[in-house]
Amino acid sequence: MTFRAAGIVLGVIVSTVLVVACSPSPTPEPSSEGIDGVQTYGDLTREHTGDAVDYPQSPPVGGDHDKEWVDCTGTVYDEVLPNGKAVHALEHGAVWVTYTDDADSGDVDVLAAKVEGQPYSFMSPYAEQEAPIVLTAWGVQLEVDDASDDRIDEFLTTYRSGAQTPEPGATCEAGDMA
Amino acid sequence: MKVVTVVVASVAALVLGAALGALLLGGDSEPGDQSAEAGFARDMSVHHAQAVEMAFMIRDNTDDPEIQVMAYDIINTQRAQMGMFSGWLQQWELPQTSVRPPMQWTDHGHGGDEMSSYDDMPGMASDDQLDQLSRAEGVEAEILFLELMIDHHQGGVEMAQAVLPLTERTEVTYLADTIVAGQQAEIATMETMLANRKALYDPA
Repeated sequence: MTFRAAGIVLGVIVSTVLVVACSPSPTPEPSSEGIDGVQTYGDLTREHTGDAVDYPQSPPVGGDHDKEWVDCTGTVYDEVLPNGKAVHALEHGAVWVTYTDDADSGDVDVLAAKVEGQPYSFMSPYAEQEAPIVLTAWGVQLEVDDASDDRIDEFLTTYRSGAQTPEPGATCEAGDMA
Repeated sequence: MKVVTVVVASVAALVLGAALGALLLGGDSEPGDQSAEAGFARDMSVHHAQAVEMAFMIRDNTDDPEIQVMAYDIINTQRAQMGMFSGWLQQWELPQTSVRPPMQWTDHGHGGDEMSSYDDMPGMASDDQLDQLSRAEGVEAEILFLELMIDHHQGGVEMAQAVLPLTERTEVTYLADTIVAGQQAEIATMETMLANRKALYDPA
């Protein structure tokens, strides 16, 4: 009985250690498999340009961009942002939350509370998008209808300074850049 | 008595399990002191530090906003990446520095001519060039900075490309991949900035 008990304990511990040891390494791969409905876009160029860029997505998910970036340190903007500066913030690893007039005003407050003061996030109105609410990071985008959608928090935690970031370590501070 | 046996068995099981786990992970999968990963982390940290130094210099020596922003970006990003290199070495329980010559971890680094100084790493600016940059002003300083930083970035790309076939550590391949792509994109941007300034500037 003693040995049987010890055997069971041994079995459990060895299995636990094996399971832990065999789990994938914690460094995430750029992937959207976990979140339903995320669109991914590859082969995005990333040079600086002073010209207005005609981006194929609304809001843009990446591509050539302005030399400057918008502050993305949990910044909630009431005004429409220049695409080129927002895209540069995406390159630095930020998640951009955008909404149209179709978004419920209570929802806009909920989203602002999720963004305000949170690292690698910013939010602004965006009229020319299909869904009332869109979440964008470099090369990935998710459309949602309302702020209670569980995928919003998932998107934020996955992509804020996430594995899609083309320039890991880049800052979202924009106050003193020039 | 039963309790003691169970405790002893549990400890034995833990040791056995840990050993098996380590075996399955590839045994000594944490990079060692002479590994390519450790060499890359240490050398790239020195390499990044010089980019940060040059970026601070040009921010002092010109008011051009385009250059200022680029330098600001380089300072923040490369400084943060130096923190990542340092974090890996801490995690792997390795010293932050080594007395071995730089670049020994590369395919070409074993045997042959040894590099004696970090200044010999690809793209590093010499002390004279740094001195020149610290004294230059305005467009002249901008041109010198862009030339030095383009070379420096090309060296950085070379070093990141060198580690990629030598490692399967995902934290290393991820950051090395982003350095290759990111610095190549910045080189293209800096080439344009350099051409614009050369067109305007006649050092007669």
